[in-house]
Amino acid sequence: MIWALICLIFLVGLWGVTRKANMVKKVMGLSIANSGIILLFVHYGSLSGTTAPIEGSGRAMADPLPQALMLTAIVVGVCVMALALVLVYRLYLRFGTLDMHRVELGAWKLHD
Amino acid sequence: MTDSLLVWVLLAPLMGAVASLFGKLIRPLDRPLSWLGVASLAVPIAALVLLLEPVISGKSVRYALGGWPEPYGIALVLDGLSWISCALTTVIAAAVALFSLGRRRYGAGYFFFLLMMVAGMYGVALTGDLFTMFVSFEVVAVAVYVLIAWEGTATGLAASYKYLVLSTTGILFFLFGVFLVYRDLGVLSISLISEGLEASGGVLSSPAMHLALASLCVGIGVRTAFIPFHTWLPEAHAYAPHPISAVLSGAMIKVSLFAMIRIILQFGGDYLLELLMWIGAVTALAAVISALSQSDVKRLLAYHSISQLGYMLAVFGAGSALALTASFSHALNHALFKSLLFLTVGAAVSLTGQRNLYRIPPLGRRLPAFSAAFFAGALSISGIPPFNGFASKGLITAGMKGSPAYPLLWVTSFLTIASFIKLGRIFLPGEDRDGVTAGGGNPGALQTAVVVALGVLCLGTGVFGQTMARGLYRILHGTAPASIPRLFSGGKLLGVLPAAALGAAAYMAVSTDIGSRLSRRVRALAPELRTVLLFFFVGLLAFAAVAY
Repeated sequence: MIWALICLIFLVGLWGVTRKANMVKKVMGLSIANSGIILLFVHYGSLSGTTAPIEGSGRAMADPLPQALMLTAIVVGVCVMALALVLVYRLYLRFGTLDMHRVELGAWKLHD
Repeated sequence: MTDSLLVWVLLAPLMGAVASLFGKLIRPLDRPLSWLGVASLAVPIAALVLLLEPVISGKSVRYALGGWPEPYGIALVLDGLSWISCALTTVIAAAVALFSLGRRRYGAGYFFFLLMMVAGMYGVALTGDLFTMFVSFEVVAVAVYVLIAWEGTATGLAASYKYLVLSTTGILFFLFGVFLVYRDLGVLSISLISEGLEASGGVLSSPAMHLALASLCVGIGVRTAFIPFHTWLPEAHAYAPHPISAVLSGAMIKVSLFAMIRIILQFGGDYLLELLMWIGAVTALAAVISALSQSDVKRLLAYHSISQLGYMLAVFGAGSALALTASFSHALNHALFKSLLFLTVGAAVSLTGQRNLYRIPPLGRRLPAFSAAFFAGALSISGIPPFNGFASKGLITAGMKGSPAYPLLWVTSFLTIASFIKLGRIFLPGEDRDGVTAGGGNPGALQTAVVVALGVLCLGTGVFGQTMARGLYRILHGTAPASIPRLFSGGKLLGVLPAAALGAAAYMAVSTDIGSRLSRRVRALAPELRTVLLFFFVGLLAFAAVAY
C-alpha cells in the first residue's frame, strides 16, 4: 500500500513536469517527483529497524545509510529547485509569460 | 604518498573556485584571483602525470576519503578509465579557462562556476560509489545551468531551463537505479557491487538488477545525450557562452559517457552492447542529417557533437578490447577538435554578431590564425589525413570490422564532410568588409595561442595516432596490445577520396532548392517535452527488455 502511494507520488510529479505548460508548475512537478524518490529510500530504511540509529538504545536500530543519503539528495534538490525558480523568474521578465511552449517558440526564433 | 595525491586532483579546483569567489567579493583582486583559480588546474596536471606510472602498469590507485574504508566511507578510485577521463577534463578545462581569461567580459564569478564544474567532473570520473557519482553529477549540473545562462540572453535562459528540467528528471531515474541496487545488494561501492553481482550469478540472474542497470543507463544517458535522450543538447550547447559550449561538448558529455561505460563494464552488462551499438549508429546518422540542415553555426556544431558521440557509443558496442580503445581514442580526439571548433566559430560569432552561416562574411583575412586552426579542426572531424579524426576513425573501422551497423557510420562520415564544406565558408579568405563588427575587436594573443595550440594538438595526435592508440590501450587494459592496425596505409588513404567526393556531392544536393526545403523540414522537427519524457520510459523499457 505504502509502496503504491510512493509510486503514485512519483508519477504525479512526472505528470506535472510534462503535462503542465506553466513553468512554475513544472518546477513543482520536479520537486514532487524528487520527494517520491526520497520517500522510497526513507521508507525502505524505516523497515530495517524500530528505533533511531543511536548507539546503546538497545532495540533494533534502523539502517542509517538511506537517511544520510537522502539528506544529501534533499540538499541537492533544494539547490536545483532554487536555481530553477531563478531561471523561471528571469524568463518571465524577458517574455512576460510563464507558458513554456510560448517561451520556447519565442526564444528559438530570436536567432536564425 | 602517491595515493594521497589523488585527493588533490579533486581538491585543487575546489580551492581554486573558492579563490575566484573571493575575487568576486573583493573587486580590485578580480583578475589576479581569477588567474589564481585557473592556475589551480596545474595541480591536477602534475598529480595525473605522477599517477600515470602505477596506472599504466595495470594497478588501480585507491584513496579512502577521511580514512574511512569502504563500505562505510567514500573511496576515490583511479584506474585506466578514470585516468583518461580526468586527463581529458584537464586538457579541455585548462584550454577553455585560459581562453576565457583572454576575454575581459568574464569576471571571477564565472571562473568560480567553471572550476566547480571541473571539480564535479573529476568527482564523476574518480568516484568509487554510485551515490557520490550522483552528487558529482549534480555539482556539474548546477554549475552548468548557471554557466549556460551566464550572459543572461533570452535563449541562454530558455536553454538552461530546458536542460534543467530534462536532466533533473533523468537523474531521478538514476537515483531509482541506486535504490534498487542498495535494496538488493546492500552496498553502493561500484567494485563491491561488481563482486556482489558475481556472487549471486551476474546481473542477468535477477529482473530487479536489469531494471537497476537500465535506470542507471537512462539517468546517465540524459547527460550523455545519445538518441533518444539528446533533445536538450542542441539548444544548451548552441546558446551557451562560446567557451562553455567548448567545454560542454569537449569534456562534459564524454565524462558521463565514460561513467556509463564504467558502470556497464563493472556490472557485467554485456547484453546491452548490441543495443548500444545500434543506438550509437542511429544517433550518428540521424544527428548528422540534422546538422547538415542547420544554418545556425553553433547549432550545427552541437548536432555534430551528438553525431560524434554516436561513433563512440557504436564502437564501444562492438565489444572487443580494440573497440574500447577506439572509443576512447575518438573521445579524446573529439574533445580536442570540437572544443577547437566551438572556440573558433564562437570567435567568428562574437566578432560579427551573426549566427547564421550565410550572413557571416568570409573571415579568412581578418582572423588568419583562427582560420588555420578552424580548418585543422574541420579536417579532423571530417576524417582527412593526417589529422586526428582520420586516425581514430581508422581505429573505429578496425574495431567494428564485420559489424552490421558499420554502413550507417560510413554514411555519417561523408555527410560530416558535406556539412563542414557548408560551414567552412565563414573562414574562407574573402574580401574584408568593414562595418560587420558588432561585438568588439579581434581576439587577443592569449585566445589565439589557445586555439593554435589546440590545432597543433589535433595535428600531433593524428600524426602520432598509432603511438597514441598503443598508449591508450596500455592505460585501459594494463597490457601492451597484440597489434594495432596500421592507420596510414595506402588503401586507407585512398579510401578518403570516395568519401570526400560523396561529401561534396551531398553538399551540392543540400544547396539545391529541394535540399534547402528538406533542410527546413528537418529543422522544424523538434520534439516537445512530453514526447521527450515518453522517450525516457521507452528507453528504460528497451534497456531493461533487451536482457530477455
